[in-house]
Amino acid sequence: MEFDLENPLTSSEDEQHGWGSISALFAAEADHMISTVGLIDLSSRRDAVSLVLQAQFDCNLDPFVAYLAINYIDRFLSKRKIPREKPWIIQLLSIACLSLASKMRKTNLMLADFQGKEGFIFDAQTIQRMELLVLGTLDWRMRSVTPFSFLRFFISFFSPAQPPLLQALKAHATQILLKAQNEIKMLEFKPSVVAASSLLSAAYEIFPIQFPAFRAAVSSCNFVDEDKLWECSIVIGAATVTATDGCDDSSGMGVASSPETPVTVLGRQSSSSESETAVGSSSDGRELKKRRTTSTLHASCDHSG
Amino acid sequence: MEKYEKLEKVGEGTYGKVYKAQDKATGQLVALKKTRLEMDEEGIPPTALREISLLQLLSRSIYIVRLLNVEQVEKNGKPLLYLVFEYLDTDLKKFIDSHRRGPNPRPIPSPIIQSFLYQLCKGVAHCHSHGVLHRDLKPQNLLVDKEKGILKIADLGLGRAFTIPLKSYTHEIVTLWYRAPEVLLGTTHYSTGVDIWSVGCIFAEMVRRQSLFPGDSELQQLLHIFRLLGTPTEEQWPGVGSLRDWHAYPQWKPQNLARAVPSLEPEGVDLLSKMLQYDPANRISAKAAMEHPYFDSLDKSQF
Repeated sequence: MEFDLENPLTSSEDEQHGWGSISALFAAEADHMISTVGLIDLSSRRDAVSLVLQAQFDCNLDPFVAYLAINYIDRFLSKRKIPREKPWIIQLLSIACLSLASKMRKTNLMLADFQGKEGFIFDAQTIQRMELLVLGTLDWRMRSVTPFSFLRFFISFFSPAQPPLLQALKAHATQILLKAQNEIKMLEFKPSVVAASSLLSAAYEIFPIQFPAFRAAVSSCNFVDEDKLWECSIVIGAATVTATDGCDDSSGMGVASSPETPVTVLGRQSSSSESETAVGSSSDGRELKKRRTTSTLHASCDHSG
Repeated sequence: MEKYEKLEKVGEGTYGKVYKAQDKATGQLVALKKTRLEMDEEGIPPTALREISLLQLLSRSIYIVRLLNVEQVEKNGKPLLYLVFEYLDTDLKKFIDSHRRGPNPRPIPSPIIQSFLYQLCKGVAHCHSHGVLHRDLKPQNLLVDKEKGILKIADLGLGRAFTIPLKSYTHEIVTLWYRAPEVLLGTTHYSTGVDIWSVGCIFAEMVRRQSLFPGDSELQQLLHIFRLLGTPTEEQWPGVGSLRDWHAYPQWKPQNLARAVPSLEPEGVDLLSKMLQYDPANRISAKAAMEHPYFDSLDKSQF
């Protein structure tokens, strides 16, 4: 009964269902997207996410617990506003979501462990009430369909299908997904698109020779929209670069050669105006750099392909 | 809970009392099920959380009774959880009974049997594609909307948190009449076949308007099955002789299944026989059943 992010539909121990049903997953994923990403208060989200990541670090938590907790936080914040003057609610929300996520994952979590280091201490009843508020707000839909649910499906497009390679690919894509969760724009893509993009990014970095064939196979899959894949890859590239480089945005130009840069996984020819719309709204210098980086990488990618 | 007004007790579900109630604000009728879930100092119990969220996921299908809400009430200072489901006015048992007894006994029209069976297969396929076995399919657990001709599966046996444990968890789960032979023979490994067997029994019961295998003990239940389908052999069902509760049973030859369901057309008999295969691995899947020629005359676009 443990909730497995890679296999959210399956509760049975019975291995014959281990695959779940991929079409059921594709059918369900739209229901698990946040339709009102714009309503999420960015500063609340930033605070909550950093509390969760801090707790993960302090308590050496399973990264999937943190991932799931942030998924709940995003969904909660897209439905409810938290009053600015009550910053403690953010902390309570983070604790309740971590608690729920660890229960879903069957991880033992000592709430005391990540309370009180700094900030407020909540009693058990308060946390319980917040848990129920979160459950009610999320309609008890705690089996989130996330990009992890689609990794196995898209990995099956990778060739050669040697277990060590596939494992490395999955591990790398997992890292990318965990990093990219920071970026709120990721919420605008379907989980399957994010999964495919993260695997392509991972393949681009660690298996450049197999990458073109993998890209072609994934793009030809009926379930994915190639344009969305492309847009998402750009966001992932930017998000993981930012995460890697911390606050030092000036290194943006250098990333083209960095192995941490997954930007151009589709390597499609694209005019700069096209990528401009894809990158999104903000027009500060950083975006400009990313765009430039993107086109540079395009070029390099097309050569390799 | 002040949101709802309890109207009457409608049943003693597998998992406890069920009340018909009304949403005071909207007038909507609902079924309230008390769970045995108590909040403790750790907050919501993890099993309850995982099971209710699974129920929530499954109830997206219109062939599964919809979980509308989860309410908590304080009782003796402890919060209890109630599940709020959509309410349907009747169930398949009452529906079958109304065709057998009462002022106007008559067969259930075959298009209705066909449609109900199709919806049942669709709901079961939905559960199975999510890795969930129902384990306790029976006419009482199938709710019916007579006006719209809709059938929905209720009382999903996810059940550890909801269940009053009936003996050990692995046994004694399915009501005897609908219980698959491997369960009766003490298998330790359940699969989707247990539900398909039950579907077969329910199919036959709709046609006959009485139970196909009305056993009143585990042994009697097995003997009912063996008398109709023949005592299973190793060829038919490899490994049957090594199941825990296998004994030397009387040797019966299989009877003609069609004679047990005289009014059923040949394609229906064929589908039924595929659902009542001894070897669970040979039993038709819910998904394959939906493609069976028996349903060729059904307008599937309505589902």
